[in-house]
Amino acid sequence: MSASKASTSSSPSGSDSLTEHPSIVLVDAKTPAALEIQAIIDVLKEQVASERTVFVKRRMEENTQKLFDVTKNLFKLSAERNPKINGTDQAVDLLAKRQKDAIDMQNGISTSSGDSDGNSPQEDGYASSAILLGSSIAVKNAVRPIKLPEVKRLPPYTTWIFLDRNQRMTEDQSVVGRRRIYYDQNGGEALICSDSEEDAIEEEDEKKEFTESEDYILRMTVKQFGFSDVILDLLAQCFSRKPDEIKARHEDLVKEGNDMGFTSNVNVDGSISSYLDKNLDAALDSFDNLFCRRCLVFDCRLHGCSQDLIFPAEKPPPSCCPDAEKDPCGANCYRLVLKLESDASIRSPGQGTSEEHLFPPSDASAQMPRRKNLGLSVKMRTKSSQSDGTSSNAKNICESSDSEIRPPIEVADAQPSSSPPKNKLVKRGGTQKRNSKRIAEHMLVSMRKRQKKMLASDSDPLESGTLGFKDLSLQSNSRKENGDESSSSLKLKSPNARRPRRISPALDNCKPLQIETSGCPPNLVMDNQPVIRKDDTSRKNDLLALGLYQHEVNDDKSWKPIEKALYEKGLEIFGRNSCLIARNLMNGLKTCSEVFLYMNSYDNKLISQSGDGANALIDGYYKVDGKETMGNGVRRRSKFLRRRGRVRRLKYTWKSAGYHSIRKRISERKDQPCRQYNPCGCQSPCGKECPCLVNGTCCEKYCGCPKSCKNRFRGCHCAKSQCRSRQCPCFAADRECDPDVCRNCWISLPCSCGDGTLGVPSQRGDNYECRNMKLLLKQQQRVLLGRSDVSGWGAFLKNNVAKHEYLGEYTGELISHREADKRGKIYDRENSSFLFNLNDQFVLDAFRKGDKLKFANHSPDPNCYAKVIMVAGDHRVGIFAKERISAGEELFYDYRYEPDRAPAWAKKPETSDFKKEDGGPSSGRAKKHT
Amino acid sequence: MAKIALGCEPVVGSLTSSKKKEYRVTNRLQEGKRPLYAVAFNFIDSRYFNVFATVGGNRVTVYQCLEGGVIAVLQSYIDEDKDESFYTVSWACNIDGAPLLVAGGINGIIRVIDAGNEKIHKSFVGHGDSINEIRTQPLKPSLVVSASKDESVRLWNVHTGICILIFAGAGGHRNEVLSVDFHPSDIYRIASCGMDNTVKIWSMKEFWTYVEKSFTWTDLPSKFPTKYVQFPVFIASVHSNYVDCNRWLGDFILSKSVDNEIVLWEPKMKEHSPGEGSADVLQKYPVPECDIWFIKFSCDFHYKAAVIGNREGKIFVWDLQSSPPVLIARLSHVQSKSPIRQTAVSFDGSTILSCCEDGTIWRWDAVANS
Repeated sequence: MSASKASTSSSPSGSDSLTEHPSIVLVDAKTPAALEIQAIIDVLKEQVASERTVFVKRRMEENTQKLFDVTKNLFKLSAERNPKINGTDQAVDLLAKRQKDAIDMQNGISTSSGDSDGNSPQEDGYASSAILLGSSIAVKNAVRPIKLPEVKRLPPYTTWIFLDRNQRMTEDQSVVGRRRIYYDQNGGEALICSDSEEDAIEEEDEKKEFTESEDYILRMTVKQFGFSDVILDLLAQCFSRKPDEIKARHEDLVKEGNDMGFTSNVNVDGSISSYLDKNLDAALDSFDNLFCRRCLVFDCRLHGCSQDLIFPAEKPPPSCCPDAEKDPCGANCYRLVLKLESDASIRSPGQGTSEEHLFPPSDASAQMPRRKNLGLSVKMRTKSSQSDGTSSNAKNICESSDSEIRPPIEVADAQPSSSPPKNKLVKRGGTQKRNSKRIAEHMLVSMRKRQKKMLASDSDPLESGTLGFKDLSLQSNSRKENGDESSSSLKLKSPNARRPRRISPALDNCKPLQIETSGCPPNLVMDNQPVIRKDDTSRKNDLLALGLYQHEVNDDKSWKPIEKALYEKGLEIFGRNSCLIARNLMNGLKTCSEVFLYMNSYDNKLISQSGDGANALIDGYYKVDGKETMGNGVRRRSKFLRRRGRVRRLKYTWKSAGYHSIRKRISERKDQPCRQYNPCGCQSPCGKECPCLVNGTCCEKYCGCPKSCKNRFRGCHCAKSQCRSRQCPCFAADRECDPDVCRNCWISLPCSCGDGTLGVPSQRGDNYECRNMKLLLKQQQRVLLGRSDVSGWGAFLKNNVAKHEYLGEYTGELISHREADKRGKIYDRENSSFLFNLNDQFVLDAFRKGDKLKFANHSPDPNCYAKVIMVAGDHRVGIFAKERISAGEELFYDYRYEPDRAPAWAKKPETSDFKKEDGGPSSGRAKKHT
Repeated sequence: MAKIALGCEPVVGSLTSSKKKEYRVTNRLQEGKRPLYAVAFNFIDSRYFNVFATVGGNRVTVYQCLEGGVIAVLQSYIDEDKDESFYTVSWACNIDGAPLLVAGGINGIIRVIDAGNEKIHKSFVGHGDSINEIRTQPLKPSLVVSASKDESVRLWNVHTGICILIFAGAGGHRNEVLSVDFHPSDIYRIASCGMDNTVKIWSMKEFWTYVEKSFTWTDLPSKFPTKYVQFPVFIASVHSNYVDCNRWLGDFILSKSVDNEIVLWEPKMKEHSPGEGSADVLQKYPVPECDIWFIKFSCDFHYKAAVIGNREGKIFVWDLQSSPPVLIARLSHVQSKSPIRQTAVSFDGSTILSCCEDGTIWRWDAVANS
């Protein structure tokens, strides 16, 4: 069975000269110099070889020395074991006794010990008849064999690992291209179970790194003769590599040599700092590569790493939870820090009141610090641009002018787009797309403007306030008519209710501001004073913040690239909420207040970058705008949003009716197994070229396409039927219901979830719990493993189950059909296969990894059936009860081997009661252990 | 391992015998008709250094080597299951030092025999298929490992009867495991090899608490939380065929495939990426006519020599401490023609035992060089 290996072992052993001879002759013909080079190479090789011998010798000696100590210790241990037993002085050690007897016996007869080479064979009576063998002494004692009571052996199995979900085969588990030897226990024959060509391919693919000594020879030769093709060829022969390989290596070596001078301290950093030095892209790269977006775990064993990144066309808006914002997030919350500072400033001469006094009655008080601070940031911007030396900006104007100037600013605000309606659109899109925080900021900008204006001229604060709000609410057309009382009719029932009107648009756009706005106008009306005063305070704060800012410009440098990148991610996720950003992304890196300051300075930078002249603010606004890349896409999407309700209903009916058309395509190849689903990356409703459509699968929730995609599986609407019959579209399509997709399918949870009681049916009768999510929820029966009544191992049921009850999943390694064929070669020989056809791409192999159901035996008249079911985009094999099964019964199902391939024990007498329930599973390649 | 790179060639021993030592047959006995697969001296307890055990068929026999080539039968055990065919035997001992014999074979049941009381101590059922080798941890001789056809290596506590660890799974062997060995000084480390042509080095360092727990376990052994060790720390593809025997030589490994040679190599592990690394093949010890599998070599207590038989009944004694390798002796006898499955070397290397396919045991004693 060995044979093939002879050459490899002998060639490297001895003769350099032998292998090199042909090359010398060859080269000889070319140039005389080649001989010289060859000689040098040979010398070098000899040198290397002798160095190697010396090295091995040295290693051997070191090891011998080590072993000496080791064995000394072991000997000590073995000697120590004596007294222990003597000390305990328990029952007589029979072994020691017999040992002694034997010695005594020999001594007793030692005089006559023939010692005649002991060549007297003891043919028959072993052990039982003689205790001294090899001496010519007659047998005195008989050794009676001691019986070891029989222990029943287990049915054979290969050690396997339990899997609760399928795994894709890892590369190193593949047997394709490997040399496999099958040793037949009975016949004693060994078979090579792989194709020889495949072996050859593998060996050639193997790329070897250059060893030190190869480098050495290369370097020395080049040093001596320079670099030429002849040398290249000779070296190539010497190393048995390709010349270009050697050339590349030489270049590397030269480079390395040059670098040597500098690179003494390349990788000294500890792991933590190196992680901080990485930029976020690199970090996110591993996230993108290792995180499974379908299973929401890292290093998913099922879908593997480096999946195609599919971004859903419909992105949920960044989460924001206004409630959480009222309380400081921790000791370093920016609110606390700023409050401290503003308190300080308030206490400073000239400012008598504390914040609480500023707005005692209004519910805005809680919001105020925050607003103020946001406003602050705005102010800071302008302040800093002022300090930059830019002559005038919006705020300057605002501050120095009375209300007459106000409208032009508003117009300027809207100006960049040429026509008002368009402008409105853009802004609208913006509002929808952008997170509310941003809008809040923008609104606050206007609010500040308004306040400034009020500061400058007390006249008609309400009016200008209205303006501000209108601007914010992006009712640019209504702004046009802002002189009229009736202008607000758009959204209002009664023109009198001015204040509510102002509020409602804001409400539409931005929740967090709702309270604030509702709080403010009364304030504005009732007591202007506090507002003004507050403004003063905030101005003070401005100064403070400016100071902070300046001091923080230095800080800015202390932000590492990764921190900056993290911050930006945080903005994307949480919006302008430093608390959440700091807590979730920058934990341990930056505190909330640091994030907050950075946020402000960051904005500031944005502004000052663009901000020369009057429309710094506007530019800033648009800059943010541009960054978010909203524009058209958003507008288009909003159209969808508007249409979706109607379309969807239509879709559903179309889907349930037209479902067959898609199904038909699948069912046209009824003999074919189901098709593997791979999410498509379509960003628009899938057309003919959609990979899912082409592949004949439905689009799933993991696809990039919008929900309105016609190829999407729509889920079901079942309620009372509990999705248990073919009336349920999901059930009919051999799919499990998905709470994300189906309308009425959910899990009823007991009040406390997270205690492992997921999916326990609720006691209340009013919810119709979906019964078609058992695989998803792992609501399986307890299966026991035991000696089968039929053969080998068998699977048994612990409890009674009803008909069609889900028993468990048949899990295993997902392997390709090619791989399955290779593995099957051996399995078939052993007459023990755990392969199960899953779909057109994969076969499940439960040989080494699986669960107990892999031991369920075949029967032509089974009590279970297997079914391939689509669960959240993956095909899985469920085993179901075909009839009522009582506790302790062994489980059988029909393996449904292809008739021509089935082993004798699985052959069907006739396919009489072949029930055609689920097409799919019937083509199972199935498995069995005999 | 298609080709060995320049500068990494192993030093290959010459088959011309140095005649440093001479051995002569001093005894030969026929134990039965069934093949003998294993013979082992007791190196665990210095009182029994001259006691050895053989297994073959359903029989385990304990012998003693006496002066003058005499062999005494001390004990004999017979499994009541006639179909049992023991493949391997190892000496171990109880926590209080009582000598134990651990044997396993085709049935996959590990038999722990209390040699001091001449009765069965425990039987371990768990392996899914036949057991190819059992070895004892020399530092803690109530720990044994077993290598099985079920593709796993298992660590047992013979004192309490607990299966502590199972070395199998994602990174485990892909075919029968044929041989396993404890590192002589690193108590956490074992090496296993088998029909998947690889040698795997495993570490149980992270699982050591379970090993300790096994000594104090008082509940049913079956309730012990047996752990799977799924990933070896090192995988070596030194051979391209079945690897049927491996032994630690200090930190190096001696392993043997069906390629007519024993290979000595050093595992070079990469610290931070377990499982990766390379094997540096240092020396090779040719063994002609040794191309059938399940031929195992053995070493004396001090690892001075390795002794291996071949398919034709000849024995090669290799010096393990020299470089380049020196063949100490080549033993042959006209009547020894049957494949030698395993050899055993006495504590000081003066006696060599071989057990053969034809059921014979041969005793060779060193002849003083005058």
